[in-house]
Amino acid sequence: MRHVMWMALFASLTAFVFGVVAKGTDRQRVIYGLKVFAEFLVIAFVLGWILYFLPLR
Amino acid sequence: MVAKEITRPVAKAPGNAWLMGVAAWAIPGLGHLLQGKWVRALILGGSVWAMFLIGLAIGGHLFRIGPNDQGVSAMLQLLPISANFGAGLLYIGCWLTNTGFVEQAQRVTYEYGNTFLLCAGLLNYLAMLDAFDIAAGRKP
Repeated sequence: MRHVMWMALFASLTAFVFGVVAKGTDRQRVIYGLKVFAEFLVIAFVLGWILYFLPLR
Repeated sequence: MVAKEITRPVAKAPGNAWLMGVAAWAIPGLGHLLQGKWVRALILGGSVWAMFLIGLAIGGHLFRIGPNDQGVSAMLQLLPISANFGAGLLYIGCWLTNTGFVEQAQRVTYEYGNTFLLCAGLLNYLAMLDAFDIAAGRKP
């Protein structure tokens, strides 16, 4: 759980910055920030599951 | 079409914009604060400060070229140093006080800390460009 928490915190802080520096109306930037946050989480979970099945040890 | 794009005149940025860019780099959030963009300053500055301080608190370390780094080893440090350097005076303050340069690889959150510290600097570069664009009138 700790890893997920740090990852989510990182994603949220990064998404804040990406959302604020983006162009467009306030609404568009909020949606963009939320999209960035969701993309971080989804990609992290997908990569996590892919790595889980790889025999790396 | 391409020639048209290349020869298009570019508006020269005023000196004030460069000053805002430097202020935004030096102290995260200051560039926007000086321009009266309180909300942006709070979100951008708050995020960069939070990432930097959290990165240090959870065991991340800052990069620099030490006495043992020679040749390729020293070159390999340049990229992370340039990322860390983006945090401005936060990085310079740590460098002057020798804070945050010790590797704590035994800690579970060591890599997270490094990532937080590196990205704090990189995101502050973005904030710096945003402050510059606002001062130059290229952004509302």
